[in-house]
Amino acid sequence: MEKKPFMKPRTVSAVKDFVCVLPALIFLAIFTYYPICRLIQISFTDWNLLNDRWNYVGLKNWIWLFNGSGTKHLLNSLKVTILYSIGELAITLVGGLIFALIFNRMNAAFSFMRAVVFVPKYVAMSSAAVVFLWILNTDNGILNYLITSLGLPAVDWLGNRNTALLSVLLLTGWRAVGYGMMIYLSAMIGISKDYYEAASLDGATAVQRFWKITIPMLSPTTLFLFVTTFISSMKVFQSVDILTKGGPYRSTEVFVYKIYLYAMEDFRMDRASVIAIAFFVLLLIITASTFKVSNSSVHYDS
Amino acid sequence: MKKMLSVVLTAALGCSLLSGCSGGGSTGGRAQQAAQGGSGDEAAGGAASADPSAYEVTEPITIQWWHALEDQYSQTVAEIVEGFNSSQDLITVEATYVGSYAQTNEALVAANAAGTGLPAVTVANTPYVAEYGAGGLTEDLTPYIQATGFEIDDFGKGMVDASSYDGKQVALPFLISTQIMYYNKDMADAEGITIPEKWDDMDAFLEKASVVNGGATERYGTIIPGWDQWYFETFYLNQGVKLINDDRVSTDLDSEAAVGLVNQFRGWVDKGYVNWTTMDSDASSNMRQAFIDGKAFSVIHTSSLYNTYVDKCDFEVGMAWLPGGDTKNQEIGGCVLLIPSKNDQATKNAAWQFLSYLCSKEVNMKWARETGYIPTRNSVLQTEEGKEFLKEKPAFQCIFDNLDLINPRIQHPGWNQLSTIWKNYMLEIMVEDVDIPSKLETMVEEINEVLEDA
Repeated sequence: MEKKPFMKPRTVSAVKDFVCVLPALIFLAIFTYYPICRLIQISFTDWNLLNDRWNYVGLKNWIWLFNGSGTKHLLNSLKVTILYSIGELAITLVGGLIFALIFNRMNAAFSFMRAVVFVPKYVAMSSAAVVFLWILNTDNGILNYLITSLGLPAVDWLGNRNTALLSVLLLTGWRAVGYGMMIYLSAMIGISKDYYEAASLDGATAVQRFWKITIPMLSPTTLFLFVTTFISSMKVFQSVDILTKGGPYRSTEVFVYKIYLYAMEDFRMDRASVIAIAFFVLLLIITASTFKVSNSSVHYDS
Repeated sequence: MKKMLSVVLTAALGCSLLSGCSGGGSTGGRAQQAAQGGSGDEAAGGAASADPSAYEVTEPITIQWWHALEDQYSQTVAEIVEGFNSSQDLITVEATYVGSYAQTNEALVAANAAGTGLPAVTVANTPYVAEYGAGGLTEDLTPYIQATGFEIDDFGKGMVDASSYDGKQVALPFLISTQIMYYNKDMADAEGITIPEKWDDMDAFLEKASVVNGGATERYGTIIPGWDQWYFETFYLNQGVKLINDDRVSTDLDSEAAVGLVNQFRGWVDKGYVNWTTMDSDASSNMRQAFIDGKAFSVIHTSSLYNTYVDKCDFEVGMAWLPGGDTKNQEIGGCVLLIPSKNDQATKNAAWQFLSYLCSKEVNMKWARETGYIPTRNSVLQTEEGKEFLKEKPAFQCIFDNLDLINPRIQHPGWNQLSTIWKNYMLEIMVEDVDIPSKLETMVEEINEVLEDA
C-alpha cells in the first residue's frame, strides 16, 4: 500500500512560505504592532512620563483633542504639516523632473553634475541644518549678505512666521531634489526610444513628446515618488528641531514635533498619544486614497 | 496561503494587543520594582535610614555623571572629575556631556521611563525640580544629608528651596546663576547713561540708551530674550503679578498689571528701543553678537555667561541687577545635581559621595572662578575668599549685594507647559500686529486649562 504523505504538497509549500515570513512577522509584531497597541492604551490614560503609574481616564484625552483646547493645536499642526508636505512634494517632483531633464545626457561631465546635485542626500540632516543656520542667519548669514548687496532689506528667515517654513523647505528641498532627479532619470532611461522615434516621424514637437510620452510613461515613478515623499515629509522632525524649534509662535510646529513637545517637554504622554494616533490614521487614509486615485491615472505599460 | 497569513497576522496582533493591555496601570515591571524599592540592595540600605554605614561604598564601582557643560568648560570638568577619582580608590566617575539642559532632560526621562541606562548623578535645570520631585524620579537626599553630616545649611535659603520639592531635599544646588543686565560700561560712562534701578526708570533709560534714526534702530537700549520666559518673568513678579495664583489652577497674566506690562514692552519694541528676540536656535548667539558689536547698549541674560561676555567684548562689561517694581526679587537659574531614584543602593551611595564632592566649598569656588556661576556657600560669601572673588570679578558686587533676593523658581507640575504657551504668545504679541487683549485672553484660557489638568 502506498504511504500517504504527512501533508499535501500545497500545504507543505504554504508552511514553508509561512516559515520564511515568520521572522518578519515577529519583528513587525514586536516593533510595530505592539507599540501601536500600547499607544492606543496610553491614549485612554493620564500617564505623565515621569510617573510609573497611571489611571484610565476614558475619552478625556480624545475630547481634549477634538473638542477642547487641543483642537486648535491639532488644526495648526495639520495646516503646517500639509503646507510643508506640499512644498516638499513640489520640490521633489517638479525640481527632480526638471533636473532629470537637464542632466539626461550620458557623459562624464553630466555624471559629475548629477553627482553634485545628488550628494546633499548623503549629508546628515543635523550637519546640513547647522550649516543652514549660518546661511540663514539674519545678521551674518550669506543669504542676507547677497540680498542686502542687491539693495534689498535683510530678511529674518527663521524668526518671521511668513518665512520660517520656507526656510525649513530650503534645507529639505536642497537635500531631496537630487533624490527625485535620480529616480526620474532611471525611469527615463527605461522609456523605449521607439515611442519618441514614432512620434518624431508623425511630426510631434519636443514639447508634445514631453507631455504625451515622457510624463505619462513616468507616471508610476511619479506615484512612487509622490507616496514616499509625502509620507516622509509628513514625518519631518529633525530640520524643524534644529532650525526653528516649531517657532516662531508655532508657525513650524509640524505633527511629529508637536508629539515630541508633548511627550518630552511637557511629559504628557497621554496627549502625545492621542495626537500620534490621529496622525497615524490620517497617514493611513491619505496613503489609501492615493493608491485608489492612482489606479485610474497611472500607466504601467512601458 | 493568503488566508493563512492573514489569520496568523491577526493572531499576532491579538497577542500583542493582549500583552499591550496587560500592564494594568504601570509602565513596566522592572521599573516599577525598582521604584517600589523591591531590590535587595534597597532593602538592605533603606533610603530612610540615617545610619552612616548604610551609605558607605564598600566595593569598587564605576558611575556615570551626566552634565550639560559645553566645550569651553571641558578642562574644568576633566580636572574636577580627575580630582575626585584620584582622591579615593573605590569610585571611578565617567563624565558624559549629554547636550543642552533640554536634551539632558529628554535623555533622563526616557531612561527613567525605561528603567535602564540611568546615570548615577545628573545635572538638571532648576525648573525641572518640581516635576521630577512630583514624579518620584529623584532620590530624597535628606537621609544622606543627615547620615553623613553634609553642611546643607551653608547654602543660601533660596538655593536650598530651589532644590527641594514638597519638603524633601530632592537635589543639591550646583551651578547657580540669576538673570542680570549686562551693559556696555564704556558707552554708559561716555554718554552718561544711568542704569535703571526701578521699573519707572525704564522709559528714560531706554530713550537715552537707544539710537533710532528715521524709524531704523542703530542701537537697541536693551535686548530681551524671547526664547525663555525666565528672562522676563521677574518683571511680572516684581509688579505683583502672580504667574500661578494661590488656587494653583489659574494665572494672573490677564490682570491689569500684566496687561500694562505687555503694552509697555510692545510700546518699546514699536519705538525701536527694545529688541524682543525670536525663539530659533541661534537667537542667543545673535543677541550676544549684537551686544559685542555695539548694536545693543545692554542685554538681559544669565549671569553664568559673565566670563564669555568679558572674553568676547573689547569694552568693559558692566553687570546690573534688573530694575525692580514693588519688589526687586530675582530667580535662581542654572542647574542642580540629583540622583535618579531607580538606581540601586550601591550606585546611589557612590553617587552621593561624588555629589557631595561636586557641591563642596573648594570645588564650588573652582567653578565660580572659572565660569560665571555664583559661589553658593555662605561661608565663602562672607569671608576673605568672597572678597578675593570680588577682586577678580568686581561686576559680581550687584549679585553679592542682593543674594537674599534670589528666590527659587515657581514649582508646579504644569510649569513647563505654562512657560511654553506664555513665551509663544509673548513673541507673537511683540512681533505681529495683533489685538493684545484678545490674545492675552486666549493665552490665559489655555494656561488655565493646562494648570487645572496638570
